[in-house]
Amino acid sequence: MIPKELTGYRSLFSDYTELRAQENRSTSIALVNGDVMSNDRSAASGVSARVYRNGVWGFSSDPIISEERIKAVISSSTRNARFLDGREKRGHGPLPSRVGSAVRDFSTLKPRKTQKELIDFLREMDSRISLEYRGIVSRTLVIQLLDMEKSLLTSDGGSAYTMIPRSILYCTLSMEKDGQPVELYEIYGGFGQFEDVFTSPGELSTQLDSLYEQLQRKVEGIYPEAGTRDVILDADLAGILSHEAVGHTTEADIVRGGSIAGDYIGREVASPLVTMVDFANTALGVPCPVPVFVDDEGTLAEDARLIEDGVLKCFLHNRESAAHFRAEPTGNARAFRFSDEPLIRMRNTAILPGSSSLDDMISSIDDGYYLMRSSNGQADSTSEFMFGIVQGYEIKGGKLGRALRDTTISGVAFDMLKTVSAVSDEMRWTCAGMCGKKQPIPVGMGGPALKCRVTIGGK
Amino acid sequence: MQMDRMSIAAYCIEAMQKAGIRKAQCSLRDQRGDELNVDGGEISLLRTTHDTSISLLGIVDDRKGTATINKTDRKSIDQAVEGLVELARSSRPDPANEIAGRQPAGVFSNGPLEPDLGLMYDRIREFLARTVETYPTLILEQVILDFVSRKKVFLNSNGVQFESSQGYYSFSPMFTSREGSEASSFNYSGFSSLDLDRKLHEYASIDTLMRQSTEQVRPLDFSGKFQGDIIITPDCLNDFISFITGYLSDYSLISGTSIFKESLGREIADPRLTLRSMPVSQENADGYFFTSDGFAAENSTVIEKGVLRTFLLSLYGSLKTGLPKAVNMGGAWMVDAGESSFEELVRGVDRGILMCRFSGGDPSDNGDFSGVAKNSYCIEGGRVTHPIRETMISGNLANALREIRGISRERVNFGSDVLPWLAMGGITISGK
Repeated sequence: MIPKELTGYRSLFSDYTELRAQENRSTSIALVNGDVMSNDRSAASGVSARVYRNGVWGFSSDPIISEERIKAVISSSTRNARFLDGREKRGHGPLPSRVGSAVRDFSTLKPRKTQKELIDFLREMDSRISLEYRGIVSRTLVIQLLDMEKSLLTSDGGSAYTMIPRSILYCTLSMEKDGQPVELYEIYGGFGQFEDVFTSPGELSTQLDSLYEQLQRKVEGIYPEAGTRDVILDADLAGILSHEAVGHTTEADIVRGGSIAGDYIGREVASPLVTMVDFANTALGVPCPVPVFVDDEGTLAEDARLIEDGVLKCFLHNRESAAHFRAEPTGNARAFRFSDEPLIRMRNTAILPGSSSLDDMISSIDDGYYLMRSSNGQADSTSEFMFGIVQGYEIKGGKLGRALRDTTISGVAFDMLKTVSAVSDEMRWTCAGMCGKKQPIPVGMGGPALKCRVTIGGK
Repeated sequence: MQMDRMSIAAYCIEAMQKAGIRKAQCSLRDQRGDELNVDGGEISLLRTTHDTSISLLGIVDDRKGTATINKTDRKSIDQAVEGLVELARSSRPDPANEIAGRQPAGVFSNGPLEPDLGLMYDRIREFLARTVETYPTLILEQVILDFVSRKKVFLNSNGVQFESSQGYYSFSPMFTSREGSEASSFNYSGFSSLDLDRKLHEYASIDTLMRQSTEQVRPLDFSGKFQGDIIITPDCLNDFISFITGYLSDYSLISGTSIFKESLGREIADPRLTLRSMPVSQENADGYFFTSDGFAAENSTVIEKGVLRTFLLSLYGSLKTGLPKAVNMGGAWMVDAGESSFEELVRGVDRGILMCRFSGGDPSDNGDFSGVAKNSYCIEGGRVTHPIRETMISGNLANALREIRGISRERVNFGSDVLPWLAMGGITISGK
């Protein structure tokens, strides 16, 4: 348990100061071919302070949350800020402030499941796979639960207490073709504690059946022809494209570091059909996978409309980058562990749905591919991206054909998005994303299906 | 009264045994860090961190659980042990759940105990000034120079007792180059070191990659699709080593999906390739002295002249598969130097690429890999000609290892890994 209230320490602040107490609690269970390969629980809590002085920061953390240690981290972080200020003598003024206050606890109200019940949940799924799905040579089921509980106080009046949970279940199945393994995975779950996200293993039966059916088709699948092709990128890929290839280029620290998006504000970077938003906590009236109400600098979190009708509108900011770019802080400063400093991070990045039906979009392609699921994605500050594709189908004469084996797609996002000629009317979130940038952090990614042209790598 | 680390670990073992856990293991880590950050080309942050981790593993009737906390007081430990009993009892029995057997106790240490913060600041300042002067088009997106002091204790109920103390610096710059509206792809490098005796750009491949970045502002398209050669740089070679070792680890072998599952003692690569894991060395800045499952670590040869000599199996993985346990956990990679110079490797390539960074995921279960060659160069007629963009490479790892064309005499020492340039054929290279 961490203290929900830190206001008693405000009198110890001298310069601009953020004080944060945090606990991350996680559970991980892995069942490999029926055996419990991991059965772990962990908790890491502590307190940190970050102090700003004339353009430089000092930070300090301690795993023990006590009055004495809290005083010590405030003192140590102040000392660190003064160490740098004394040498750098930058003389910058105060940072912009748009503080918020929030108390949000998303703990379940239902009785908590025991570890045995969680293991039994996986075993029931595993038993069904083992008994009913012929030809499976390897099966892996994993539960990963993460609760992030934070208390925050800033010297300019920002404060928050939040408990944001996430519950993910992964299933990976493998079959063989000519002695070579062919695998496919599916991810279930998202925002909320396990009891609020999953009811029973039986509830996932239809999705498991679908995974098995798709894997059977993939085993008999083909490699796509390499080249630039008409494709439908399904929601999973639209989400990872939004996050990796566009979102990162608009993080203001990356912009300062030379991102190509730095030149594009006010310019057309995508088809007018494309509007992309980094949602703070609620999208289209529904809670996002990773809701952020007040960020870890105490800023009130608001949506950032990155691309509006194809035009790049803004960057994602913390307080310092907002000062640099003379913009408003957007509430994107987030830290993963108690001992981490807040960095500019995306929250829930998505392309908004359009007006086309997915069926019509597929029908409109004579020779191309429907790409559904990625294994990974990488992009750089030029917006050049590469995504691994592990599930998809060829499209011939407007109809879905044979399944695809693993391949890759690549391109330059700000070029590729200009080729978007249709956007489907339904969007879906991917809730298992863990973004890496010095620290990991949970993120949401979402989108509709996009019709566009992209370079596909073949075998 | 505050207990010392060994007493805390001993209390954990005692508490687990009192709670009915016959096979108990405690791994305690106490870590302090001092870190200087540069953001947007300016020194931005001095960060001091302290954290403790106690990982408790308990086996009850062949059922295993692991609980990890970051508190060292008795009340927190008692609560963790209580939870651990529930975890273990909740699990399924598996005879492969075991703890390490008794071995001679070991006390190890390496590196300085405290950072020289003034020197860290001066080295960063010097690095920033030189960068502005030498590479005016290069933007330092983020630079981290840190010092880590890590103390570890390992005890188990079979009497295993290890203690280690390590301190080292590590440096990681990330950068992009821009000229007007044209920009290179970002790139990064790094090293770890027991000292900061030299200027930061003089370590490992830092200066080479920064110079290359300034050359990569106007890359050219790569045309066509063909089977060709790639020369993998030392920075990029680490990715390919992780592809290989991924197939040698617990998960791949237990799940039965490893492409090398039948290959122990057999030739899996060209005889010019020898890959070693060298975690136990006083020169190695961030190696390790004992494994996470409680065995004194030894250096090992994973691939010797192309022959697979060991898997990287833990005790659990070994008992589960019936295959031999590894003598370490991998890492601290060293590839033996070859007989060609880097220039000779390049001269041997008629058409291909100098592969400086690989942007792609892990290979598929069957060994197929594909990704984009980032920050890379075209090689034509035995010469490195120009930087390229939007170029994909693909191949199969098992096949590619047999198609090694040469390994350079020159190697880069990253402070932990020591790696050469490696030329590989039979790779599908496709541009626009």
